[in-house]
Amino acid sequence: MAETLGATPATRRGKGLGVTFWICLAWVTLMILLAVLASVLPLKAPNFQDYSAVNVGPSAHHLLGTDDLGRDLLARVIFGSRVSLVIGFFPIAIGLVVGGLAGLLAGYRAGPTDTMLNAVSFVLLAFPALLAIMVIETFWKPVSLLKLTVMFAFVAAPLLFRVIRATTLSFASREFVVAARAMGAKTSRILLRELLPNIVPAAVSFALIGVATAIVLEGSLAFLGLSINLPTSSLGNIINDGVNSNNLSLNPYIALWPSLYIFLLLTALNLMADRLRSYFDVREVKL
Amino acid sequence: MLRFAANRLFQLVVICFLISIFAFLLVHLLPGDPTLAILGPNDTPAARAVLLHQLGLNKGLLSQYGTWITNIFHGNLGASFLTKQTVTNALGVAVPIDLELIVVSQVLALIFAIPMALVAALRPNKAFDKVATTSTFGMLSLPTFVAGPLLVLVFAVTFKWVPATGFNRLSQGLGPNLKSVILPSVALAIGSITVYYRLLRADLIATLQEDYVTMARSKGLSTRYILLRHVMRPSSFSLLAGAGISIGTLFTGAFVVEVLFQLPGIGYQLVQAIYSRDYLVVQGMALVAAVAFVVVNFAVDFLLTVLDPRVRRA
Amino acid sequence: MSPRRGPHLSFPEVGSIEGPLLEVEDLHTSFRTGRGLVRAVDGVSFTLGRGRTLGVVGESGSGKTVLSRSIMGLLPGSNVERSGMVRFSGHDLTTMSLPELREVWGMQVALVFQDPMTALNPVVRVGRQITESLRLRVGLDRKAAGETAVALLRSVGIPEPERRLRAYPHELSGGMRQRVMIAIALACGPKLLLADEPTTGLDVTVQAQILDLLAAQQRERHMGMILITHDLGVVANRTDDIIVMYAGRIVEQAPTVELFAHTRMPYTEALLRSIPRLDESSHTRLRAIPGRPPDLAAQVQGCRFAPRCPYVQDRCRAEEPPLRTAGQGHQFRCWYPVGSAEGDAALAHNVAARVPAALAFTGTRVRDAAMATPNGARRT
Repeated sequence: MAETLGATPATRRGKGLGVTFWICLAWVTLMILLAVLASVLPLKAPNFQDYSAVNVGPSAHHLLGTDDLGRDLLARVIFGSRVSLVIGFFPIAIGLVVGGLAGLLAGYRAGPTDTMLNAVSFVLLAFPALLAIMVIETFWKPVSLLKLTVMFAFVAAPLLFRVIRATTLSFASREFVVAARAMGAKTSRILLRELLPNIVPAAVSFALIGVATAIVLEGSLAFLGLSINLPTSSLGNIINDGVNSNNLSLNPYIALWPSLYIFLLLTALNLMADRLRSYFDVREVKL
Repeated sequence: MLRFAANRLFQLVVICFLISIFAFLLVHLLPGDPTLAILGPNDTPAARAVLLHQLGLNKGLLSQYGTWITNIFHGNLGASFLTKQTVTNALGVAVPIDLELIVVSQVLALIFAIPMALVAALRPNKAFDKVATTSTFGMLSLPTFVAGPLLVLVFAVTFKWVPATGFNRLSQGLGPNLKSVILPSVALAIGSITVYYRLLRADLIATLQEDYVTMARSKGLSTRYILLRHVMRPSSFSLLAGAGISIGTLFTGAFVVEVLFQLPGIGYQLVQAIYSRDYLVVQGMALVAAVAFVVVNFAVDFLLTVLDPRVRRA
Repeated sequence: MSPRRGPHLSFPEVGSIEGPLLEVEDLHTSFRTGRGLVRAVDGVSFTLGRGRTLGVVGESGSGKTVLSRSIMGLLPGSNVERSGMVRFSGHDLTTMSLPELREVWGMQVALVFQDPMTALNPVVRVGRQITESLRLRVGLDRKAAGETAVALLRSVGIPEPERRLRAYPHELSGGMRQRVMIAIALACGPKLLLADEPTTGLDVTVQAQILDLLAAQQRERHMGMILITHDLGVVANRTDDIIVMYAGRIVEQAPTVELFAHTRMPYTEALLRSIPRLDESSHTRLRAIPGRPPDLAAQVQGCRFAPRCPYVQDRCRAEEPPLRTAGQGHQFRCWYPVGSAEGDAALAHNVAARVPAALAFTGTRVRDAAMATPNGARRT
């Protein structure tokens, strides 16, 4: 049988998003649940410094060990994940609503408003987000979760605006939309029934990547000591603590557990985003 | 063609202006008095008044902006209040470092990404593709602030092959220079490999399904020839755009790596300036970084237009 | 640049071929899809002699494009099943390895693709798309390849060929692009040319020119040619034999003259009748074939054309008719063929019973129409 260059899209056995997708979704949900229910779970106090149990490795008493101040790592990771998850999901959600809606409207109704919004978003995006955040932070003390969320949302909104606008544009010129318009459908109906179902997969996929990026961003800020003020440690703060030369060699667990957590969370998010994207893309490939 | 270029150039200039305004406002509109930070314990109303006058902060916003912009056109980006070093000098130190980091890291990333993508695209969903995609996913989930320390732990602390921090200029010899640059470049390349690999692979797969590829096969041309002469070029557009964005953001995005490895690039200097409330330096560097990003993007955009004959205006 | 060293297959030179140029025996090509197995080519057999032209006619979805790719072996690697035998010049193409096939492609068998806009690489200049075969397969150097390319372009009727070499595909008109495709296909002097819908999308006048061009080239080079089209008018007086395909199968096969003179399969008859005629008044309703082409993935009992056939009877729905011979190399697949007693009776019965397909079948029958004259040049 003759081989070939490339291949036709593989036949999808089973019409679903795949086991991997659901596992990732379950994992992320689990992480969210743990974070939300942290206060009622049987965890040790994350900030309690037990000097009799400093730098203890994983043991029965401390499942993940303790750090250099005797604090239980499992508790710290789970409480710390709260910050990361909030920073990850909330700004993106806000950005989706604000930027996404704007993008939908702008992409559908090209006009002076659209051009202006597009230009504004471009300028906003051109300016390095991290930079802006760092600058704002240093002058707008103290840094709180709310402020960080707001700042991140400000960064997320233009990005989501552009992505959704671009997706809307590519769909709005397609024939089924023109047909709907020719049949006299109202704008709102077109937006809701024709465009939205097609845009949602791409938007969700991109949003998931945005969540991953936001989490990394917060980590980077923590690395500079510019994230949440202690004692409400975020995962980034914990990692930051864990990588200074003393701790890295003495007790690598401090850096290891939160890093692993972030790694797994990001992998799950990325896998989900990718699966969503490829699942809905295949539909458009001509047989 | 010329008119198109001129049009884009005009847009570029406008955007740069807008960025300068943004950078200026960012620093000046924030709550918090810079003088408080600079004066520290010497803060008295008299000292503050003198400082305000010195820094020109008592004039109106518009006039401050005007002064700043005029200075820029004279090549004067301002100076650090603390070190008295001019921003231009600081940039002179920082830019070569960043450039070297960017070049080495992106070249590394491409050296891995391009062949991987080629092999994966030829046999999608088979063994190699699955392994490659999974491992690049892993790389995607390793933020630089995790990967960096890990690399330091392994290569600098355990094996002691390369120094953990510090930058050796080229003038001190190529060997030491490369040694100080290799770990940070690898840390930066990790994130880029995934992006390039996925972009190129997706484009390649799409191109390989095109009719003209089947036609090329039907002429009996070899796979290697078809890949190199028919497939690579149409598939490289996404890659180019991605590279443009990568390079543009790396000017500031590398700051984690720079701080970790103590390399005085733009990101590093910027962070220091922000810590010490050195607002002029922040303004100047932020402007440069943002402008660099925009310029690179426009250049890439332009390059794409030139390369794709379909888009070319006759 | 010397020609690539590949497996050495010997192909006899001009005029020394014994036996047919191409023999296809029971070719099946199916695709595994989410909906099941799609039988695009479902048991096709025919023979083509040197210097002869075969027309393959069918609606979109009849499997004719897949047939051309399947003959060459140009199918995607995964999810495809192919069985049967394709013998070209004595060599069985279905058992060849990929390097061996590459020797055949371009040099011995060439394919003219349907849509020049997608089949030509938009970012590569036209000239290189011609010269690459000449340099890599035939072994010409750059200068000789360039000259040959110019000569080729000129021979396919492109004015100012030197200038066109440097053009990109989107800078040429539709007709010129199609000519370029033909030039590319002919570049290495193949012995068999497969032309897939070479005139679709072109102006009527340009269509005639392209077809004349193909015919002239074929005569000159003494090639075998397979013309694939949905338009019976295209093959009417330009082919020696015609195959009519429906749902992946051959439903009628005959020398052209015979096919038009004594059509037997109702589908062919319907195709012929659907061609608008010059001598009809301008408001004459088009006699389209009602219904839609069949789903190639569905398992169907009986004749595939039954749902749309004016002559359909119960037997047709229960049992698929085999290919029967009617003398003079004419084969067809029908229980109630056109022009036979059973056929006439079946049609009358259906009209009386108000079967929709039969009712749509109004007006004069093919055999009585003057348009059946083979030499009465069918101008599309």
